[in-house]
Amino acid sequence: MAKRAPRLGIGGPVGSGKTMLIEQVVPVLFSKGYKIGIISNDVVSKEDADRMRRNLATERGLMAEDLVVGLATGGCPHTAVREDPSMNISAVEEMEARHNELDLIIIESGGDNITTTFSPALADYFLYIVDVAGGDKYPRKRGLGIESCDLLVINKIDLAPHVGADLKVMERDAQVVRKNRPFVFVNCKTGQGVAVVADHIIRDVLFELPPRAKGRQ
Amino acid sequence: MSTDFLSMLQLSDSFFPTGAYTMSNGLEALFKKKKIKERELQRIIQVFLERQIGPADCCALGSAYESAAKSDLAGVLAADDALFSMKLVQEVRSASARSGSQLVRCVRAFSEDKILDGYAGAIRKGKATGVYPVAFAVTCVALYVPKQEAGAMMLYSFCVSMAGAALRLGAIDHVAAQKMLHGLKPTIAKTARENIGRPLGSMWQFAPALDILQMEHEQMDSKMFIT
Repeated sequence: MAKRAPRLGIGGPVGSGKTMLIEQVVPVLFSKGYKIGIISNDVVSKEDADRMRRNLATERGLMAEDLVVGLATGGCPHTAVREDPSMNISAVEEMEARHNELDLIIIESGGDNITTTFSPALADYFLYIVDVAGGDKYPRKRGLGIESCDLLVINKIDLAPHVGADLKVMERDAQVVRKNRPFVFVNCKTGQGVAVVADHIIRDVLFELPPRAKGRQ
Repeated sequence: MSTDFLSMLQLSDSFFPTGAYTMSNGLEALFKKKKIKERELQRIIQVFLERQIGPADCCALGSAYESAAKSDLAGVLAADDALFSMKLVQEVRSASARSGSQLVRCVRAFSEDKILDGYAGAIRKGKATGVYPVAFAVTCVALYVPKQEAGAMMLYSFCVSMAGAALRLGAIDHVAAQKMLHGLKPTIAKTARENIGRPLGSMWQFAPALDILQMEHEQMDSKMFIT
């Protein structure tokens, strides 16, 4: 039996840019030959999954349409990825049974508060995203998601001057809170910084292995 | 006190990871059309118990329990097949199978049982669906939970999941939810008693309005619950 694809969990508050980050990083990984599936947990509606399916599968042909799956969480987004990830685990396994060629499965959490973390039974690597528009206090406020994630992504840096946020303060506080663990500033609207996020995924989640399609078993 | 009693508490606890909190069983679709009140909600749950979960799910649970207790894997698989076939709504079938297969996986992590292993293997090979009531029966046998209690536990958990969904939809408050669960106890006990011992061949369900409601939920664009 083929080895299972690694799982990348993405969490963050509502509107922080989780879906947009996926839409930016998947094409970068695809251009390097990696095949990816996405499970998208929505709090209400399946809008995010529909948008990613249309953008990444239907219009750009980067993946099969059934590789973007939407999942409802009964209004409990953090429960669905931490306390009881049963439905997500089933959805991931069903996807992998249909597509054994996958190099990576991304699980997007529904928007939630800064205490969100992923169950290690669901995700091998946890990326947490916040945005500058929430205020430059975010890294300083800590919270399990910000402190304990494998990679902290700070999005919408272009908005900093418009919302009175100081990126230098965010950088200083992130260094204190994160200690030696990484964080990245990005602008998902323009793609700025996304290549750095992709590099982290390739190095720390995929361990720089070549894509399965290029001969890896 | 026996540890078997504690196993009953563990399996009935809403903390136990089966994904039940993601299901409203069509309640979300109903609530979108009509703002139902506590009494009406209780009546709907009673209909679910008496005409669907009781005569179908509880009957399959009882049959699978007897088979598992006799180490008859074929009997367990027959109950799995029959119940999965009887669930008319795709979204409900799929959610039940997902939930049951994860239940089996979780219990196998702390309990050793030959039939539980056999059932897990059948799910993995696609020879069983893992539909929840059958999975629950097999795990209850593995953990020495008595059959009658297993039936009542499953029905009670269904009511808790409905009450939780109603609460999150804003139909009832936390006190009303507990009052409703208390009011449902006689129906839960009677339904378990009447259906847990019936043979698989006598399994039935007839609640077309609820089936249609659950099908309407499948078609909803914006929803919070899987079912």
